[in-house]
Amino acid sequence: MTSQKPSRLSYLTSGIIKENPVLILMIGLCPTLATTTSARDALGMSAAASFVLIFSNVVVSLVRKFVQPSIRIPIFIIIISTFVTIIDYVLQAYQPSLYRVLGVFVPLIVVNCIILGRAEAFAYSHGVFDSFLDGLGNALGFTLALVILGSLREFFAVGTVFGKTLTPNWYRSAPMLFMIFPPGAFFLIGILKALAVKLKLGK
Amino acid sequence: MNLSKIFIGAFLVNNILLMRFIGLCSFFGVSTSLDTSVGMSAAVVFVTMLAAWVCWVLWHALLLPLGLEFLRTAVFILVIAGLVQFVEMFLKKYVRGLYSAMGIYLPLITTNCAILAITFLNVDYGFNLLQATIYALGVGGGYSLAIILFAAIRERLEDSPVSPSFRGYPIAFVGASLISLAFLGFANLFGISI
Amino acid sequence: MVVSLLITCLVAAFALSEVYAVTKPKIDQQKIDATTSALIQVLPAAQTFKEVEKDSLWYGLDAAGAKVGIVVRSGARGYGGPVPLLVALDLTGRISGVKVEDLKETPGLGLKATEDWFAKQFIGLDSTVALKKEGGTIDAISGATITSRAAARGVAQSIRKYSEHLKP
Repeated sequence: MTSQKPSRLSYLTSGIIKENPVLILMIGLCPTLATTTSARDALGMSAAASFVLIFSNVVVSLVRKFVQPSIRIPIFIIIISTFVTIIDYVLQAYQPSLYRVLGVFVPLIVVNCIILGRAEAFAYSHGVFDSFLDGLGNALGFTLALVILGSLREFFAVGTVFGKTLTPNWYRSAPMLFMIFPPGAFFLIGILKALAVKLKLGK
Repeated sequence: MNLSKIFIGAFLVNNILLMRFIGLCSFFGVSTSLDTSVGMSAAVVFVTMLAAWVCWVLWHALLLPLGLEFLRTAVFILVIAGLVQFVEMFLKKYVRGLYSAMGIYLPLITTNCAILAITFLNVDYGFNLLQATIYALGVGGGYSLAIILFAAIRERLEDSPVSPSFRGYPIAFVGASLISLAFLGFANLFGISI
Repeated sequence: MVVSLLITCLVAAFALSEVYAVTKPKIDQQKIDATTSALIQVLPAAQTFKEVEKDSLWYGLDAAGAKVGIVVRSGARGYGGPVPLLVALDLTGRISGVKVEDLKETPGLGLKATEDWFAKQFIGLDSTVALKKEGGTIDAISGATITSRAAARGVAQSIRKYSEHLKP
């Protein structure tokens, strides 16, 4: 007999692999390709987006009973943009070098399909703790995808991961710089997605 | 900053989709057919121009003088959402044909990163209204160029033998990688750096 | 309906103004620190700097307050402009330090190294600086002659423009 209600745990875990927003659902691509030129930047970007995702999921869930369906989208947008602005200024003040790298992608978190998507598809219709788990799971999945991509790009293009040199000198004198540029990003994510399909990760 | 450089930079050298990765969700979602791509491009260019003007004016006439810079993100995205809503209602009432042709793509424009990005970059680059207009035109044009080119390729890919794991998105990404490589060749054109 | 919209806006605006008030001083300080550390990098002989023209000219002063050199910012800022350089001049009008200012972090790490190498060529030259192709000594960045020329010209212009400030 299959259980009708998904378990609490699945709220958390589905966002990580089975319904990984980037690799399986293919949403939230803009920051994924743009900010993964190194593993460290990828981690920074995913941390910022995760902050917004988790907090806006929680707040949307908290106020869902007071929000009529007809104005829910503007309300979601206001809530999300508030957290985006918060992380924007916090980064500017306390992590200026990361902020300079991420550039316009920090405010662009507000149109990240993942965040608006989870608010609409889950947080608006579920309790606060469940929404928190859902946000956390998707955040972890997003972080996983970005860090993998960032590490791969950094590894192939510069020979390091998180700044630690992992390749011999002869490689680093003529690395695959292609990976750091836009074409490399597109190419790599195509390969990763093909791999995910092959490994049936989304099933 | 001369206007033709701004335009070429936005249109080719720093193509918003293929070089700056902004606007990708709609890029991959809509480019499965040439018709929807053309329709989406037109809508994007239109909303972009309007949004660029409204946000520029709001920033310079309201937010900046009143010291309300921190409301920029919220105000700009709400303006875009409102504009799209307005365009949708207008089309529904007066240009029914276009409205039904656009279908679901109209509301999707709100989450198009490219439009929000332009409103932000107009401010960050310190453009005056004319420069902002040219920049928005360049980006809108670059978006259209990239998506139409890509749609043409994707339509061909539909009929090509592609190995099972690559069908759909993966091969589309590899295709995008190749077009992006071509656009990389525009780097430093007329001295415009990427 | 309007009420909930209004309440949300007000709460959001309030929260944001608080965050802004807290972070703004820190952000302003960051900007000053970044500029100061860049200035010290190009003119290490100076102890303090006095901004003479906003964002374009600084006097480098030693511990006694005497001028040891000036720092000049050349090259247009922002979108697609030439390579922005911070140029330090000693009092004889020779370039003693150069720093490439990264206004956007280009993803191409290879590009950054190129710019450092390019910038270092300027050290020791005076306002006659020019590309090799134009009778000078500067090698252009390959594939970026226009940008290189603009950078070299920008440096020469800035030096000439501010040469009157070189008096002690």
